[in-house]
Amino acid sequence: MRSVQPPKYPLRFLRWFCREDYLDEIEGDLIELFEKRVEKSPKMARRRFVWDVVKSFRLRNIRSFRSQNSNNTVMLKNYLKVAWRNMLRQKMYSAVKVGGFAVGIGACVLISLFIRDELSYDLQYPDNDRIYRVIGEYYETGIPDRQSFLQPPLAKALKEDFPEVEEAGRFLSSNLFGAGSSEVRPAGRAQNTYEKGFIFADPEFFQILGLPLIYGDPASVLTEPNTLLISKSKAEKYFPGENPLGKAIILNNNTGNPYKIDGVFEDFPKNSHLRYDFIRTLRGMEFGKGEQYFWGSNNYHTYIKIRAGSDASKLEGKLSDITDKYILPALKAGGQPNAEEIAGRIGFKLQPVADIHLRSEGIKDRLSHGDIRFVWIFGAVAAFILLLAAINFINLSTAKSANRAKEVGLRKTLGSQSSNLISQFLTESLLFSFFSFMIGVLLATVLLPYFNELSGKALTMPWADWQFIPLLLAAAVVVGLLAGIYPAFYLSAFKPAAVLKGSVSRGTRSSRLRGGLVIFQFATSIILIAGTFIIYRQMEFILNQKIGFDKEQVLLIQGSNSLGDNAATFKNELLRLPDVKSATVSDYLPVSGTKRNSNGFYEEGKTSEGEAVYGQIWRVDPDYVRTMGMKMAEGRDFFDQMPSESQSVIINQTMAKQFGFEEPLGERITNGGGTWNVVGVLEDFHYESMKEEIQPLCLVLGNSPQTIAVKVTSSDMASTTKAVTALWDEFVPQQPIRYSFLDESYARMYDDLQRTGSVFTTFAILAVLVACLGLFGLSAFVVEQRGKEISIRKVLGAGLGSIFRLVSIDFLQLVVVAFIIATPISWYFMERWLEDYIYRIDITWDVFALAGLLSVAIALITISSESVKAAFINPVKKLRSE
Amino acid sequence: MKEQSIGEFEELVLLMVAALHDEAYGVAILENLEEKQGKKVNISAIHVTLKRLEDKGFVISRYGGITGERGGRRKKYYIITALGKKLLDSQYALRTSLYQQIPKISFG
Repeated sequence: MRSVQPPKYPLRFLRWFCREDYLDEIEGDLIELFEKRVEKSPKMARRRFVWDVVKSFRLRNIRSFRSQNSNNTVMLKNYLKVAWRNMLRQKMYSAVKVGGFAVGIGACVLISLFIRDELSYDLQYPDNDRIYRVIGEYYETGIPDRQSFLQPPLAKALKEDFPEVEEAGRFLSSNLFGAGSSEVRPAGRAQNTYEKGFIFADPEFFQILGLPLIYGDPASVLTEPNTLLISKSKAEKYFPGENPLGKAIILNNNTGNPYKIDGVFEDFPKNSHLRYDFIRTLRGMEFGKGEQYFWGSNNYHTYIKIRAGSDASKLEGKLSDITDKYILPALKAGGQPNAEEIAGRIGFKLQPVADIHLRSEGIKDRLSHGDIRFVWIFGAVAAFILLLAAINFINLSTAKSANRAKEVGLRKTLGSQSSNLISQFLTESLLFSFFSFMIGVLLATVLLPYFNELSGKALTMPWADWQFIPLLLAAAVVVGLLAGIYPAFYLSAFKPAAVLKGSVSRGTRSSRLRGGLVIFQFATSIILIAGTFIIYRQMEFILNQKIGFDKEQVLLIQGSNSLGDNAATFKNELLRLPDVKSATVSDYLPVSGTKRNSNGFYEEGKTSEGEAVYGQIWRVDPDYVRTMGMKMAEGRDFFDQMPSESQSVIINQTMAKQFGFEEPLGERITNGGGTWNVVGVLEDFHYESMKEEIQPLCLVLGNSPQTIAVKVTSSDMASTTKAVTALWDEFVPQQPIRYSFLDESYARMYDDLQRTGSVFTTFAILAVLVACLGLFGLSAFVVEQRGKEISIRKVLGAGLGSIFRLVSIDFLQLVVVAFIIATPISWYFMERWLEDYIYRIDITWDVFALAGLLSVAIALITISSESVKAAFINPVKKLRSE
Repeated sequence: MKEQSIGEFEELVLLMVAALHDEAYGVAILENLEEKQGKKVNISAIHVTLKRLEDKGFVISRYGGITGERGGRRKKYYIITALGKKLLDSQYALRTSLYQQIPKISFG
């Protein structure tokens, strides 16, 4: 039984905590008891042994840990003291180190907040991981056409045909059907208010999302026709302090068809891809006869929740059954000659709800999205800026090593080990890192409002988040260690004899590495500078592009459908105002976000042959072309007041080209619903963002009464809008006027471009700033090192210029190398970025020349302050101290 | 110097040390106490008590030689001091005199 040993870990624990002078007695007794007990029962003996160890763990028996390690504490104090003194003695270098770090950390904190927000989208639904959006695909050539607008009966079919689908629901956001925006008033009030954020939705859709209801029964909301749900904030706006359940709401003055409030839901969180305030039920709605059972239209966003434990990718594979079972027969019934071929091109995919915000590139859904590429770019930029700052730290620490070499030598002579010195220098870099984090976080807090404007977000510093401060501390430690590890090894490796003899007095040993790091910093800066230039050029190009219509001085009056039959009178009255040149009533405007549609057009009589030309059909009034300042390429504009004009159509050049018309005038086209004579061809104009190519489009006379566009000639816009407002108030006293300007709406299309531009500018400036700080520190160091050389040269007659050249030439070489490296890289990346734009600039060499010149200039200015100082110094001062 | 006080368990351990004269170490004391008292005692209680007695000067200690037993750890032997013996004597005297003052009572 001798082989049975007492439990290992308790014994080790005992040996760890127990005082040395008690250990013999206690351990001996415990083992002796164990050995005696083991003969009776090994199991019991072990248990009793553990228990004895636990009982022996008392204050009297515990060794004094403090007294044993007291040397470490003293040394740590000494390290901190020495670090502090060094920091104070070399204020400039310390400021550069801490300042550069702080800027980098500030940028990182901001960007991390941004990324955190972007990644937090759509995680709030209760069964988030089981909710999917259905995406329709249409394969033609290359990348399939993807969209989230799907057939009306799809949701029902999914639920009925696939047991994995627990629930399926739709919503409809298209303003073609009256979603989007409405004039709102609670029943019994006279004043309308304009509200956005309307959708139609199935009750199932609301249940899939599982938004919490404040009022209303989650199981039955929206199941009755003419009911709607409103958000909490809107409920408070219209019914402050009361329960609005069952109250009636009048939409768009439609008093005959009031909506009953069926529930109040918590507002959609800010980080949701859906942000709506009014959810009208789809129950009892039919947009056209038989529409709800029609497989030929695509308007509904369809979401499903799958059953727990079922596999989404398996379900996805089975979705083609839908095409075979419903779409193919529908196509055949519709008389489509190549129905099989078309059906073969249709497919369905499932997109997890959490992916919608960031990973919807190439999916048409008319929702505003983030972009996963932006998250990556931002993250990379943050990492680079931090890296640049860390490089400054490394460069300056190793460069200034000469000053610390003697200290290292002396410490080693007095018995310090390399490991002690490494921990000394790591302590020092940790100290720097903590300082920098404090300043950096402060910086981030101060700059947050600016950053919010830049990124279009409403971020706040998450002080209340319990993880925030520990995370910052952990980051400070990691960054401090990473930045400090190379200098620590470098400095601690000095040979005491060599150092004390004085032969290692220069910190030039690692100058090659420092050179490499400077090149890296400047290459990064040049890439960002060149990128900024290119983005700005592209922006200018787009904003000054010949867009094909006149966007200046056009006032858009919204909500004019409230005028009802008075629209024509109002328009006439408008024209009588002195500065109004012309006015037109139409919801279709050449800026994105206004009314759109899609139709397939054929030449008359050729409906069943060949491919359709897909394009927009815009319903306008006869003054449209005039008011928008569009140009006719051929033919004529609409005539006023002629009944036969309802047969006329004006097409754009793209449509003429796609039809292959040689002589477009007089041709007849049809979309199945109507047939028109082509009377004019319009010069192409951009009506969507220039990321997209101009698509076929035609204008016909028709009624689309929500917007009136007014062309104004006056330079005094203020007085004109005042006059227009006065006129409006006469006509529609119950509804305040809403107007905007066409050029502003146009500029808004390029918000994201401008945002990209300003983000790049900011980061380019930051990167350059950090790189300059480092260069400044290094040049100061070189000047200091070569002080004697410079003085001797001066004494021997060197001029200011030659000394300046002497100091700067090394650095300029580095910047030139950086330029050579940076040019192809930035060319590649900017070319990739520009690929997104159909209408784009070409990258020319002068961008890089400019960026290169700029960085050389910046570098020179940075270096010059120190080198000029060196050139002016009285040589006696440097030379007398030998 | 103030009169040293002593607790009941301490007194028992001190008696044991005196009884086991020159052979008193942790495990021996434990086993004898358990045998005499008929109840379990934890070894660490004995250790602490011995330390306390040593602090108070009632016992002194010495190490035995290293043997193959006990994981190679030495035994720590305790011997009662003169002070300790005096304390035991006075405790004994006190108890005996008090005991003799008990009148004859019959618990019938």
